Amino acid sequence: MTRPSLRCVLLSVVVLASSHTVLAQKIAVVADKLYTITSEAQGQPGVILIENGKITAVHMGSNVPAGYTVMHAVYVTPGLIDAKTTAGISGAYNIPADQDQDEQSEPNTADVRALDSFNPREMLLEYINTYGITTIQAAPGITNPIAGQAGIFKTVGPKTVGPTVDQLAVKPVSAIVFNLGESPKEFYGKKDKAPTTRMMTAAIIREGLLNAQAYQKKWADWNASEKKDPTKQPSRDLKLEAISLALRGDVPAIFNAYRADDIDTAIRLAQEFKLKLILSSVTEGYLETQVIKQSGAAALVGPTLQRLESIETSNASLEDAAILAQAGIAVALMTGFENYVPKNRVLLFEAGVAAGNGLGFEGALRASTIDAAEILGIADRVGSLEAGKDADVVLYDGDPFEYTSHVTAVVVNGKLSYQRE
Amino acid sequence: MLAVSIVLQPLTLNAQEAALNAATGTPRIARPSDQVLVVRGAKIYPISGPPIENGVVIVRAGKIEAVGAAGSITAPTDARVIDATGKVLMPGIVDTHSHIGIIGNPPVAANVDANEGSGPVQPQLRAIDAINPSAAGVRIANAGGITTANIMPGSGNVIGGQTAYVKLRGQTIEEMLIPGTIGGMKMANGENPKHYGRRDQAPMTRMEVAALARREYTKAQEYKRKWDDYNKAVAAGSKDAKAPERDLGLEALVQVLDGKRIVQHHTHRADDIMTVVRIADEFHYRVVIHHGSEAYLVAEELAKRHIPVTLTIVDSPGGKLEAMNVNEHAAAILEKAGVKVAINTDDDINSSRFILREAALAVRGGMSEQGALRALTINGAEMLDLGDRVGTLEKGKDADFVILSGPPFGVYTKVLETWIEGEKVFDRRNPADLRYATGGYDVAGRYPKFDAATVGGAQ
Repeated sequence: MTRPSLRCVLLSVVVLASSHTVLAQKIAVVADKLYTITSEAQGQPGVILIENGKITAVHMGSNVPAGYTVMHAVYVTPGLIDAKTTAGISGAYNIPADQDQDEQSEPNTADVRALDSFNPREMLLEYINTYGITTIQAAPGITNPIAGQAGIFKTVGPKTVGPTVDQLAVKPVSAIVFNLGESPKEFYGKKDKAPTTRMMTAAIIREGLLNAQAYQKKWADWNASEKKDPTKQPSRDLKLEAISLALRGDVPAIFNAYRADDIDTAIRLAQEFKLKLILSSVTEGYLETQVIKQSGAAALVGPTLQRLESIETSNASLEDAAILAQAGIAVALMTGFENYVPKNRVLLFEAGVAAGNGLGFEGALRASTIDAAEILGIADRVGSLEAGKDADVVLYDGDPFEYTSHVTAVVVNGKLSYQRE
Repeated sequence: MLAVSIVLQPLTLNAQEAALNAATGTPRIARPSDQVLVVRGAKIYPISGPPIENGVVIVRAGKIEAVGAAGSITAPTDARVIDATGKVLMPGIVDTHSHIGIIGNPPVAANVDANEGSGPVQPQLRAIDAINPSAAGVRIANAGGITTANIMPGSGNVIGGQTAYVKLRGQTIEEMLIPGTIGGMKMANGENPKHYGRRDQAPMTRMEVAALARREYTKAQEYKRKWDDYNKAVAAGSKDAKAPERDLGLEALVQVLDGKRIVQHHTHRADDIMTVVRIADEFHYRVVIHHGSEAYLVAEELAKRHIPVTLTIVDSPGGKLEAMNVNEHAAAILEKAGVKVAINTDDDINSSRFILREAALAVRGGMSEQGALRALTINGAEMLDLGDRVGTLEKGKDADFVILSGPPFGVYTKVLETWIEGEKVFDRRNPADLRYATGGYDVAGRYPKFDAATVGGAQ
């Protein structure tokens, strides 16, 4: 590889720095094929106007008012949303130093927050940003029956300057994550600790939810008492507070399940405790679409490119997302986590596989933008290109899902985060 | 969704056969039919020449008899004719690095026989003694368009064992093996063989990984000399010459020294690649670089020695330290430097049904489409010494080909049919075969009745 001369590098830094300043102000993104997702016309020429981090106007055609820095692309879509990943709390190296997604010290770690492990400078986040992923739900891993609190964050790209994790957070706590199936029992089983069976995994989750119900009642009773005697005030319990968020419906409960009967267990537990259920992975979901549909649960589907290394993932189907969506279930796409030589870190590619296997172009686009935003409760800010929403925009030189197309630029919160050299 | 209408002529099967095929998948016939087969109408990528619009392929007794534009060649009138109008036809894909059958599905311990963990030097081991021809992976590879594979032991040992060059059909490994081939020799360096260090055993450093390899090939040189001396003495009429004791491992390494077996070498980091080159130079053996995550950093070194590289293309860097500099431009850089490049699955690292996708990612990174097609076919064939038999559509070669629904690198393109030596081994219209392409082959019977026009079966 030829190394660019230092002078060349300096020159480009100056140009980019100045363009970044301009771009931070007023940008017009001009598209040959604009996919706003929510407006009537899709795939027509159009213009997105951006100011101070927000979309100020969207119009058809190609006219740009004076005072805007113009960026042009063949295809333009909203920033893509990875509905569940460990990126940011797990790093690219896959060595203990950069893996903080699984607190494997006990099976109930409801009080741990992705927020407190999230590293905005993780190179993996920059990497996925260059493939158009601008929003992710970072969730604890798959070991613990009650795994902790997910958070929703914007990604930073190679050109992004400075935000802290708190500035990147769209929802610092977005869901309580529960895990079913092989992982919890295999991990703890090897240590001769509970759970060693699926029965115990469910029992641990039910116990946590029951304890949180009792905890809520204790506090409600104390709050309702006339005197509010400080000596009788219940002591705080961060785990039970976290589970209470899901019990009250403040945040959804994400149940990760692969096998169909584990999906049934998730639905059974969610109905017992009236949780707002979101299923993740949903590997065998295509085998029981009616059950899922009737439960009202949304499905975070994927990843399809991951090695099928367990028995519970061995029936994975590339058509899962399409079949679930066709049954009327709300579907978003996720990348999850793969440890050794991962293939599933780029949501754009997962969306491509879904598009090519029954979900189609528009279905895959919706699943990775507005449908994900609605499932995660962030559609007021992201998921479509509309005036008032965050200016998260992806520019491409061809069909976004074609493997041979390229992302040419990414804008997050109105600022250029990546530009293809 | 584009609804693709099926115009291919259905096979003539009796009802019983058809029902069986639907339940169990297309049969694994290893014996070429005597009937002449004509496939017409497709855009043909012969690889040995420019694409042919509206082409014709004529197959006789499992071999290609002719390839050309419609009208330029005459098919016999009693031939079985397949109409592939509007489709794309290319040679069967050659996967230079696969573990299908030796790592089963799912890859749980009971199904995994890739790495003999009892010691780092295992040249006597043969992949053929562990490959399960009934493993789902073989059919999944057919669903990906793969017809020829180099199935190998894993990368946990410095010398991992003898690989197998096979066609992906047949019920026994003997039916799968390509006649006249003895396979390659799997070797590995870098991180993976160092796992013995965790048990306080050698090797624990890259130095010892290299030393082990050099020690074994030095032994093999001596072993060869002993046998050469013995054979010479016998040839000279000696009555009391005593045959040296046979050593199965050294015998296989002598085949490497004699150029009969190519070393198929797992290696990632640029310095590890140069260690491979250094040892190959010392012992004068032929080597193919596998994975080669940082091969693009030493492209000139490889080009000048004519050492080929077969890349395993993944979506992102990392997952292990020696793969941190994985670069989507790697294939393009190697191609430009004049290095012969193939693209492999390393199944189960990449699923075999995604091998076209891997090549598409190489194109995304700047490789030419022509180069990427060669990387899936003839280049890999040559890395296995099979270039005169498979890898292009030319008269006299095996009739191994794939029929695609569209451009080879399109995300919406499907492998419709895969043929080996004139026999169909995969047909997407067969519900059982389809599930090897999409997944769900173990639960196909429970699959819901969804609209075939929009999902699955239509393509």
